[in-house]
Amino acid sequence: MMSSIPSPIPVLSPLRMQRHPRAVVALMVVLLFAGGGLMMHAESQIQVLGLLAAFLAVFAIADRTPLGQEISAMCGDYGGFANGVAFVCALSLIAVFHGEHYTLLMLATVALFSTACIALNLQLAFAGIANFAGAAFFVLGSYTAAVLTAYTEVPHLMILMVAGLVTGATGVILLLPVLRTRGHYAALVTIAFGLLLRSLLEVNDTLGGPQGMKIKGFSAFGLDFNLISSIGPWDVSFYLPYAVLSISIFAVAFTLIRRIERSWIGIALDTVRCDETAASVFGLSIARWKVVAFLIGNAVIGVAGALYGMMNGFVTPNGSGLGDSLLMLSIIVLGGLGNFWGAVVAAMVILVIPEKLQAIQEYRLLIFALLVLAILLFRPSGILPRPIRDLSRFIGRPGADA
Amino acid sequence: MSAPLLTCGGLTMRFDGLVALDGLDIEVAKGETVGLVGPNGSGKTTFFNVVTGLYKPSAGSVLLDARDLFAKPPQMIGRAGVARTFQRSRLMLDQSVFDNIVVGALCRLDLGLLTNLFRRRRWSDELGLMFERARALAQRFNPVIADRLFQPAGSFTMIDRRRIEICRALIGTPRLLLLDEPSAGMTHDETRQLMDDLLAFRQEMPDLAVILVEHEMDVIRRVSDRCVVLNFGRKIFEGSFDALIANPDVQTAYLGVSQ
Ligand SMILES: Nc1ncnc2c1ncn2[C@@H]1O[C@H](COP(=O)(O)OP(=O)(O)OP(=O)(O)O)[C@@H](O)[C@H]1O
Ligand SMILES: [Mg+2]
Repeated sequence: MMSSIPSPIPVLSPLRMQRHPRAVVALMVVLLFAGGGLMMHAESQIQVLGLLAAFLAVFAIADRTPLGQEISAMCGDYGGFANGVAFVCALSLIAVFHGEHYTLLMLATVALFSTACIALNLQLAFAGIANFAGAAFFVLGSYTAAVLTAYTEVPHLMILMVAGLVTGATGVILLLPVLRTRGHYAALVTIAFGLLLRSLLEVNDTLGGPQGMKIKGFSAFGLDFNLISSIGPWDVSFYLPYAVLSISIFAVAFTLIRRIERSWIGIALDTVRCDETAASVFGLSIARWKVVAFLIGNAVIGVAGALYGMMNGFVTPNGSGLGDSLLMLSIIVLGGLGNFWGAVVAAMVILVIPEKLQAIQEYRLLIFALLVLAILLFRPSGILPRPIRDLSRFIGRPGADA
Repeated sequence: MSAPLLTCGGLTMRFDGLVALDGLDIEVAKGETVGLVGPNGSGKTTFFNVVTGLYKPSAGSVLLDARDLFAKPPQMIGRAGVARTFQRSRLMLDQSVFDNIVVGALCRLDLGLLTNLFRRRRWSDELGLMFERARALAQRFNPVIADRLFQPAGSFTMIDRRRIEICRALIGTPRLLLLDEPSAGMTHDETRQLMDDLLAFRQEMPDLAVILVEHEMDVIRRVSDRCVVLNFGRKIFEGSFDALIANPDVQTAYLGVSQ
């Protein structure tokens, strides 16, 4: 063996950046969020196209050049720190756009759909359960909020939890009969559930039929979110508290599911997905882990759906179709199965860009389908591939990350 | 010799018309290494699959330490202390070596949601423990693996993957270890090395019972206390290696002469 292997000279060394990794990481996150915020805010087509080009350029640099790869790796190594900075950045965006209804609505929408997509990641990317009813569970969460606000005085924070319980329990009831089967039965059951729920909602008059239901705005801590119009000296949009709450729910779901991934449970889920035979031979209960992932995933989707409904003030059966569920699944495939930030990026691409680029609005589904096909062909692990789980950083440092 | 750990009686496995195991009686004592040999298709892997619960046997009995494991679900058998490797490697190639190895002990770790999500200190302590164990095991079979525990298993050679599989089977401190052709694809020297490592490990776990399926007779001679020969799912010989070599039935079976 050679006694000393010359270490590769980091590209950054002339810039001395690697001495301040946190500064580099923070700067990157701030830049990305600033870009994302501008994108949501942008009105002129030129601005949108310019930002899009800038994002593609940044992505190409991060993906293809040594410098970019080094910075990306840094962001991975300081993942927990980067996530913290991201949270602060998201709150800062809300502060910056405090008066703009539309931008804040879009921000909250992206946060809530990203939350649902992270939950789908838990189910599909980790446990290997394809849930073709993501949108149905989301809408079920909204309807739960609609019914509870209409007929009861349950505190609204509690309603979010009840919605999670309802969707979580519904999912488990669906899954139980097919737990013993292998193959695609679970996927088929979710498809059937989505169709069933939609037709049930459409014919049920107490639930408003095809017109759906009105939902009362969210109120908690003695604040009715819909009535908020100023904080101190600032005039703010009533979407501001919704955006803050949405981002917070996203952060909680993110942390929760990240911790699941980076724990024994994450390894158990991966084993169950990759090789049921090996998993069972080594004493893992396949049924148990599938139920856990499906339950937690659907509960998270239900909470996000409930708040989304309360923010919009109404819910209809429309959003619960197979098409919407497929869209959610495509978001996580596009973003990179198992990569949470990938899901956020893809959610931005799907939810924000078509709103901004009038030219493509009519063809949004077509363009989106082509995009997913292109990704599957040329970059099958998605925009941001899932990084390998490296538990070494937690040895003796339980607080590292997330 | 101590009391038998594994007792199989009249074990029979039929696939439609084919009888893959035919009234097989096998006993393995604590601390014993049994070499299981037989021509291709004689039922060795089927025997492992039946013992580990992957196949539901058609008839017979399986007892581990007087506990009935006949036709029980695999996870129950795994938890009872039976571990194995597979003839065709089954690793999660995209996951790290450590993740793969720790799977072997997972069902003995604290899998509670509360601990894994919120009592991270407690979890991290357990992680540290498992890391040390995985490293020590990997170190024994190939130090290169020990140095690269957090790289994807798919980045290793086939031979190292077999070693990783053995580490996975050992980390849960099983009572019975089933090795299905662990040296397949290895050169003579690598096979010898692997067996030396296994024997050394054996010293530390004197109670561990091992059944080794192996085509290389030299390996069988070195490591097994006793040999069992299968042919067409039936036991045609049981005894010492020297007796095996001299046995005319075994020779006929291997030379493919009709019985
Ligand atoms: N799942 C199955 N379905 C049908 N037949 C099977 C199945 N598994 C094994 N067999 C048959 O049972 C017989 C025994 O196969 P087995 O794999 O146990 O042999 P083996 O001794 O391990 O052989 P080798 O040395 O090639 O690994 C073979 O004829 C095989 O085709
Ligand atoms: Mg075999």
